[in-house]
Amino acid sequence: MVEMNKMDKMDKTDKTDKTDKTDKTDKTDKADRNGLDRNGLTRRDFLKATSTAAIAGALFMSDPRDVFGQVTEKKTRVVLVRDKDVLDSTGNVDANVLERMLDNAVTALLDEPDPANAWKRIVKPEDVVGIKTNQWGHLPTPKALENAIEKRVIGAGVSEKNISIRDQGVLDDEIFVKSTALINVRPMRTHHWSGVGSLIKNYIMFSRTPWGYHDDSCADLAKIWALPVCAGKTRLNILVVLTPLFHGIGPHHFNPEYTWLYGGLLVGVDPVAVDSTGVRILVAKRKEYFGEDRPLNPPPKSIYFADTRHHLGTADPAKIDLVKIGWEEGILI
Amino acid sequence: MVLLAAGGLSMSGLAPGFPIQLPDRVLEWAASGEDRIYTAENLFEYIDGGAELYLSYGLSSVFARTYTREGEPDITVDLFDMGSSENAFGAFSHSRETIDSTFGQGSQYTKGLLLFWKDRYYVSILASPETKASKAAVFALAREIESEIPREGPLPGILDFVPRDSLIEESIRYFHHYIWLNSHYFVSDENILHIDENTGAVLAKYGSGDKRWYLVVVEYPSDMEARLARTDFVIHYLPEMDIEPVAQIEDSTWTGCRGSGSILAVVFNAPARETAVGLLDQVEAIIESKETGGDNTEPR
Repeated sequence: MVEMNKMDKMDKTDKTDKTDKTDKTDKTDKADRNGLDRNGLTRRDFLKATSTAAIAGALFMSDPRDVFGQVTEKKTRVVLVRDKDVLDSTGNVDANVLERMLDNAVTALLDEPDPANAWKRIVKPEDVVGIKTNQWGHLPTPKALENAIEKRVIGAGVSEKNISIRDQGVLDDEIFVKSTALINVRPMRTHHWSGVGSLIKNYIMFSRTPWGYHDDSCADLAKIWALPVCAGKTRLNILVVLTPLFHGIGPHHFNPEYTWLYGGLLVGVDPVAVDSTGVRILVAKRKEYFGEDRPLNPPPKSIYFADTRHHLGTADPAKIDLVKIGWEEGILI
Repeated sequence: MVLLAAGGLSMSGLAPGFPIQLPDRVLEWAASGEDRIYTAENLFEYIDGGAELYLSYGLSSVFARTYTREGEPDITVDLFDMGSSENAFGAFSHSRETIDSTFGQGSQYTKGLLLFWKDRYYVSILASPETKASKAAVFALAREIESEIPREGPLPGILDFVPRDSLIEESIRYFHHYIWLNSHYFVSDENILHIDENTGAVLAKYGSGDKRWYLVVVEYPSDMEARLARTDFVIHYLPEMDIEPVAQIEDSTWTGCRGSGSILAVVFNAPARETAVGLLDQVEAIIESKETGGDNTEPR
């Protein structure tokens, strides 16, 4: 079975967050917003902690070891798999290529040559599996990827009736409510308020009061991962970077001008590490496109605090073992 | 037909607060479905995750209509009543990349999305993916809406305190929430400049190439509040300011701040001491000129 150290640790250490009480929690975080609370960080803190201002300024979560609390001997593995042929000339997903990418990613992640065996380490026949997808209209999780995941989960012995694929309404979905395993899959995009729509944010539907997590540009989204309905259940995180959205304008925050064919999937056990890697790709693309450093707008604090405050995983690239497979051109990272 | 989403009511004719008549047809597109109005209370239902931007600029309500044409992309019009022209400009400035006044008091077109502002209205017209015909329709619709808004509105007064030398005009951002400062130039996880709904703040970028520096000017409700903000900023960000007007920080750039009355100006990332001091001097000169009844601002 895939190691769940990060989730287990959170499950054990964050018992006080077992109820959905975001509106009432973290008063201490909010109490002194006007500068009296010095638990926060300034640009200068990052500059002091890193050797290059460019990395800190652009990613502002990159390296400062002394502000990243957890030190682990073993790096967290994240697999980036890319294929330039994953979309056809009309922009439609080639399901066969995408399925192959998923297999390659999972086998590389677990050092297990056979995809079927790799999936048997991710889920067991007795598991009840929720595949948490994302249906944002402009950039949804590709149906072909949902199908490929479901096929592999069934191949691992899970009964079809014990699998559900869903975005909204998970709290009213019997499978999700009684799930023993979750697979988290969604596209990477910039986001109006949280900076990025990412794996961590994808669990916001596990709260009936998602707006309760909007404070401070969604800084504490990782709290959601401690809710009983999902705590400790996540077996795999898949961040879709086929055509990521690297910049958003207007009320609907989408314009094809700000997407590009990256042709990738980022796959890992640690959602923070996968998200952090995805952010680095977006930041690099923004710099390439705009010709200057353009930090994400707003900064993706939820990923930073998922590491430093909530200890859900690591956002520090120095602690991430990034395995790259496939198409190398324009990899940006 | 207008669906007043806030109260779940339907009504005919013009929507309250929206004396803007939109056409039933534009070129080959026809209005389709029910018009919708959202307010601050339910904007979340319409804009997934994006409502906070408009709420932070004091959104009053938004009117949404969709036009359809077979074989062409839908055209979605969102007409935001921001309550004041200052806030309409602020919402527009948030993502402005170019200086363009083709529509209203400022506009921007990017592959199927037209944004513009005029008076207290911020307007978004989206037709994606763009086609030749949809682009023509979007522009025609923008002309109609623009002409329906009878007057122009004033820009935020605090923009007058932004010196023009070396300014990247399209970089100007106007806001009331510190999150938006961090969006464009990360300063602190905390609101150490005390920017909130009672302050007006502007961020402007200067320079070119690799050398870019930033000016933040904030106007507070009182001189005392400006002094408190300056004190907090110095304590938490620039303690060297106790003895120097500007300071060189860890990345070798220069940062400094200066307060005058209810105005606080802060320079970040200046490539040289003289650059930082010079910019603060220019802001101070504008403030003094205004106090003495002159007008030292350059025409915009």
